[in-house]
Amino acid sequence: MISLVFIAALFALLLYVVANMPPMGDPDNPTNSSEVIERYLEKGGEETHADNVVTGIIINYRGYDTMGEVTVIFCALAAVLAVLGRERRGRIYAYVDRSRVPSSVIVRTMVALLVPFIILFSVYTILHGEISPGGGFQGGAIVGGSMIVFTTIFGLLESSQRIPQRLRFPLEGSAVITFFAVGALGLAGGGNFLTFAWPEIAGNLQPSLVVWLTVLVETGIGLGGAMVLISILFSMIREEEEIAVVP
Amino acid sequence: MGTALNLTFIVLLVVTALLAVLARDLLAAVIIFSAYSLIMALMWQRLQAPDLALTEAAVGAGVTTVLFVVAIFKTRRREEEEE
Repeated sequence: MISLVFIAALFALLLYVVANMPPMGDPDNPTNSSEVIERYLEKGGEETHADNVVTGIIINYRGYDTMGEVTVIFCALAAVLAVLGRERRGRIYAYVDRSRVPSSVIVRTMVALLVPFIILFSVYTILHGEISPGGGFQGGAIVGGSMIVFTTIFGLLESSQRIPQRLRFPLEGSAVITFFAVGALGLAGGGNFLTFAWPEIAGNLQPSLVVWLTVLVETGIGLGGAMVLISILFSMIREEEEIAVVP
Repeated sequence: MGTALNLTFIVLLVVTALLAVLARDLLAAVIIFSAYSLIMALMWQRLQAPDLALTEAAVGAGVTTVLFVVAIFKTRRREEEEE
């Protein structure tokens, strides 16, 4: 009863807050009066050389945040592996592989036809993320999602042959590794960690260098994120011999 | 037009959220939750946050749904009655 009253009160409070939120897109909003926004919008293109302000903020201005997020994804995989363990080579199967009922021809054909296009779209999302919405994380999640669909239809045996452990193992860390490596490059160039700017060394090549480094970081995040998601799915879905129940 | 669409989305969000919590069949709850994520993705797009919309559609509606379904297959589909 107390919990119901509490939830009702919380609901009313949240509704009240939502009703009193500043209107979207109003130039007088409190968030728009901060000088940080002004700096991002006015100098962003010049300082980060990114055509898309959001990408410039995520990779450059807020690089530390993004690096932390990437580390969190990696830690999620570490936690899943610590609890469930990695699948063992040669003896991996899942519910789908054991099922006596084959999945329907229509579903199999559609998935086999669609998966390449989904992966193509994710490559577009990653590489084009520099100038349009999207980027490494979104693209990686789309690759992961496509392989998850593939696994649920064709079984773990099939998909773990397509993406074997020896391929996933080095790539899982690629998000963290590329981010730290590119960040350390900034130190090597005499700047700060995660700065992509060495005007005295790169000279006129500076803008294109920044674009390529951004694409490199996005690709690293995409590949790493995708592999982490696939590995989490594999270790969750795999089945081995029945574990004896201890009374 | 815009306000009506926003209102529809918000009402659908509340309805799907409630249904996802109230459903006794956990598989149904997961599917409803994925519908919730999809509406949320549309909502982000309407709020001019396409990056978030992409993330919500890929992770919320796609990946987590499958992970939940896998978890349900590994455990039990029905919620147990409380004593």
